[in-house]
Amino acid sequence: MISLRSSAVLLRMRRVRTPYEDDISDEVLLAGMAIGDDRAALAFMRRYQHRLFGLAMGIVGDLALAEDVAQEAFIRIFRHASVFDARRGSVATWTLTITRNLAIDALRLRGDTPTDPDDQVFLGLLSANRKPEDAAVAEDSLDRIRVALRSLPIQQRRAVLLAAMYGRTAQEIAVAEDIPLGTAKSRIRLGMDKLRESVVIEEDQ
Amino acid sequence: MSSDSEIPQQCEHLQDELSELALGTLYGRSRAEVLAHVESCSRCAATLERLSVVADSLLQLAPEIEPPLGFELRLAERLHASAIAHRPGRFRRIGTLSAAAVIMVVLGFGLGTWATPSDVNRPAQSVTSHLTSAHLTAHGRVLGEVMVSAGTPAWMLMTISESPWSGRVLCEVTLAGGKVESIGAFTLSGGYGAWGAPLTAPASEVRSARLVAPNGTVLATAQLSV
Repeated sequence: MISLRSSAVLLRMRRVRTPYEDDISDEVLLAGMAIGDDRAALAFMRRYQHRLFGLAMGIVGDLALAEDVAQEAFIRIFRHASVFDARRGSVATWTLTITRNLAIDALRLRGDTPTDPDDQVFLGLLSANRKPEDAAVAEDSLDRIRVALRSLPIQQRRAVLLAAMYGRTAQEIAVAEDIPLGTAKSRIRLGMDKLRESVVIEEDQ
Repeated sequence: MSSDSEIPQQCEHLQDELSELALGTLYGRSRAEVLAHVESCSRCAATLERLSVVADSLLQLAPEIEPPLGFELRLAERLHASAIAHRPGRFRRIGTLSAAAVIMVVLGFGLGTWATPSDVNRPAQSVTSHLTSAHLTAHGRVLGEVMVSAGTPAWMLMTISESPWSGRVLCEVTLAGGKVESIGAFTLSGGYGAWGAPLTAPASEVRSARLVAPNGTVLATAQLSV
């Protein structure tokens, strides 16, 4: 848990560049936060606020609610920094998963229908910098998966994104899409299998 | 125990659920069934690992967006309120040990010594019982924390947050019997720094640690009793 002395401390540090900001790994920043280091918390917030807010906005599609989600995510992250376990995954995955889960909870609390994953913000996610035929020149794993995602049949892509981004179970997807449960499960599996192949290709190269 | 001819059939039967497990949308009995199978099937474990990489990557594809003006200020206010509401009485002691656990895990991860891909889905193991921590002090003032992990190799890690010095510093440890070993150097900037290095000696041999300026001046010390 982080112990912030006062909001004034953070405000004073807004213009302070710390050695944490550029050269320290996410994991060390978390460690600093866990022992109550305000500057580590500030650096972490600056490093991740665009990503967390972007993900929250993508899921809830509402500016005010997205800010609320992103801020609550930071509070959870700061509070639980000491229990982060790197063996279970990266800091980025951990923080984004927290944000995603909070966004899903926020939507459910509000009784909203989740944003269509092929619309609005996620259109940007899919309008990758590269076209599918350029997959061979993709530079990193995220590029590869983005290209693979864009190449999926739309029904499979919707099923995968509804599960990955909105936490929808196969049963919920079946209801939402008005399709049999078996079809929903197959779409998820086929989509994930094709995305997995992009990971395999990268690792084998 | 299933026969060899039954294994592929069972694997095939669970392929849909493997994807859903990786995506975090499989619950109840189905989840337990798949987890039990993966535990004993290296083929499906490997598939699940790659599917998990995909699921994690999907979250990272979300575009970065500039938060609204005042986001930092409002977050600072919420953090302050949250810190007051959740401040435990024994925070310092517990927090320090927890932090040490995190640093042990994260530096191991950062240097590629612990978190190989096959480790990703392994259950978490307690590391706190192998840790010793102490304040790093100078003239009675606490400058930071030093932690020693009793693994193989042992590790020493430190975070300094209140140093009056900046620039290059050396880290030395004193072992049982009085032998002094230099374990590395790092840079303090603006009084802050975080650093770690493996020890050549077992953790049980380490009695103290100290930061030394390039001119030999001892800047701070920490007494460790592993």
